[in-house]
Amino acid sequence: MKKIIQVALGILTSIGGFLDVGAIATSAQAGAAFGFELIWALVLGTVCVTFLVEMSGRLAAASKHTLAEAVRERFGAKFYFIQYIVEVVVDFLVLAAEIGGVCIALQLVTGLSYRWWVLPVAFFLWLLLWKGTFDLIENSVAILGLVTLVFVAAAVVVKPDWSSVLAGVVPSVARHDTAHYLFIAVSIVGALVSPYLFFFYSSGAVESKWDREYIGVNRAIAVVGMGFGSIVSLGLLVAAAVVLHPRGIQVDSYNQAALTLVQPFGFIGFLLFAASLGITCFGAALEVGLDQAYITAQAFGWRWGESQKPSKDARFSMTYTVVIFLSSLLMVAGIDPLQLTLFTMALSAAILPIVIVPFLVLMNDERYVGKYRNGWISNAVVIFIIGLAFVLAIVALPLEILGG
Amino acid sequence: MSQEDRKEINLIRDVLDNQLVDRHKQPMGRADGLIIELRTGEPPRLAYIEAGAQTLARRLHPKLSNWVSKLASRFGKDGEPYRIPWSRVHDVGIDIDVGVDAEKTPVMLFEQWLREHVVGRIPGGS
Amino acid sequence: MTKRHEVHLELLLGKHVRDKDGLKVGRIEEVRAHEQGEEWVVKEYLIGPVAILERLSALPLAGGILGLVTGKVPSGYKVPWDKLDLSDPEHPCLTCTRGQLEPLTRGKEAGKKKGKSNVKL
Repeated sequence: MKKIIQVALGILTSIGGFLDVGAIATSAQAGAAFGFELIWALVLGTVCVTFLVEMSGRLAAASKHTLAEAVRERFGAKFYFIQYIVEVVVDFLVLAAEIGGVCIALQLVTGLSYRWWVLPVAFFLWLLLWKGTFDLIENSVAILGLVTLVFVAAAVVVKPDWSSVLAGVVPSVARHDTAHYLFIAVSIVGALVSPYLFFFYSSGAVESKWDREYIGVNRAIAVVGMGFGSIVSLGLLVAAAVVLHPRGIQVDSYNQAALTLVQPFGFIGFLLFAASLGITCFGAALEVGLDQAYITAQAFGWRWGESQKPSKDARFSMTYTVVIFLSSLLMVAGIDPLQLTLFTMALSAAILPIVIVPFLVLMNDERYVGKYRNGWISNAVVIFIIGLAFVLAIVALPLEILGG
Repeated sequence: MSQEDRKEINLIRDVLDNQLVDRHKQPMGRADGLIIELRTGEPPRLAYIEAGAQTLARRLHPKLSNWVSKLASRFGKDGEPYRIPWSRVHDVGIDIDVGVDAEKTPVMLFEQWLREHVVGRIPGGS
Repeated sequence: MTKRHEVHLELLLGKHVRDKDGLKVGRIEEVRAHEQGEEWVVKEYLIGPVAILERLSALPLAGGILGLVTGKVPSGYKVPWDKLDLSDPEHPCLTCTRGQLEPLTRGKEAGKKKGKSNVKL
């Protein structure tokens, strides 16, 4: 019975927490710029993240190690250092973008520039991590995040041509603006397959003291949670495709993205968009901030745990404190949140091989996961998608920088 | 006891970089270094596990290690990295069980400093 | 300060080993220890690419693929403790020639790595 509740909670968390600033920005951009043509990128990203999240939980449950711990132990300090630096830099940028997302949401509602909201938001983020427990944070993210179901409602209400939607599932070549098309495709994959997710998820599983009994629970949560979560992202893309694309409206700011809900639902839609943006970004910021503390503490072998009082793991707690404060400065400085988000998502895709390859090796290592090793399907799917994302990123990033 | 019956461990795979855990089951860092003592006519003896940022830094680059040493001395650590005699190591499995009390060793100096000077001063910390 | 007769294994890892004739043998990838009376002592060093694969023990095809790609089957050696001279830890060298070493084969080593070693000392 208890397991069923945990599965349900886990699924809700995955759905409510699926969207974040990256998924919102890239889905809205994709729909506005290319209609339904990029739905395949969403599908690819979802399939990949489902496999990887499941693997992340399975690693933790089977080996009692988090991903970061296992990588350092297996591959040594020198290799882990490279992965760590890369991960920390990207995490830092993602955190800044998520904080930016929350502040933009507040700007939408109040009219007050996002830069004024940064320090209060950062403080509130910190306060929640300082005083809260892991379960409290995850569960509130889950429940509040369900507001994003409004995007699914919007997609239905705007009456898209469902056969065109279905056609978008098939990968296609760009009909125009190839560089931008590839860039958005890569950004979608980077947004969905966020490297921080795997470190975070395995840390959470260890915090929740999962063991081999939870392998099934983990699988259910990953598949159902990610699957339904992606429908929310799809909803936003479809709504953007119907509302913005025919009018040639590009998403250059979150105001335009908000139109996806304003058109079907009016002013309530606008408020719901702001709520969705604010809540999901806040939840993601909590996770990314925590993630940096997790990977740092685990790299050095410090005591760590969100459910412990900060005085019991001072270095861990100070890590997220410092990181939240520093990354918020990027937003205070006035860096455009939307541009930062899109760039960071593509960067995330580019670093995926560094994170995923050791991960895959571990998932095939009997000494860590015992009989719960990866089947050839898991290996094949992940290798394919990561390889694809990496190639696209190498191609698209320079093109976008040169072109934009 | 025949040769094959003797317990064997792979030092790089199973000891180096693994989590150290003290007698109260508290994490106390990682085995950042492993020291063997060479002897004439006899096999080298496992002498110490070394733990600490200086040891770790030296693996990456010797200059980094000097810089870390200077930083560490500001938090009360003396120049020497912390060494655990191999005789104190009880079990090598998922973690390395060590028969010491982490709080009494230099590995916790930074943690204790933070606890006292920063975390303790922020409400809700303890 | 490291005493003259102390060697840091974490710094020895990955160092190239040459034999008595100056030929490169491989890099030190693993060090095995066993109990001897009250102490634990070094039994042998594992050197060469097979040792890496053994340490990663990951994709079982990797060795076969490497062999196909490079034309060489990955090789490695077991070096008993008394055959490695560590008086200069930056340049470890064999006290014998390469030909006198026992080669590592993947099959032989595979049998030894079942389960994470949970060794009570």
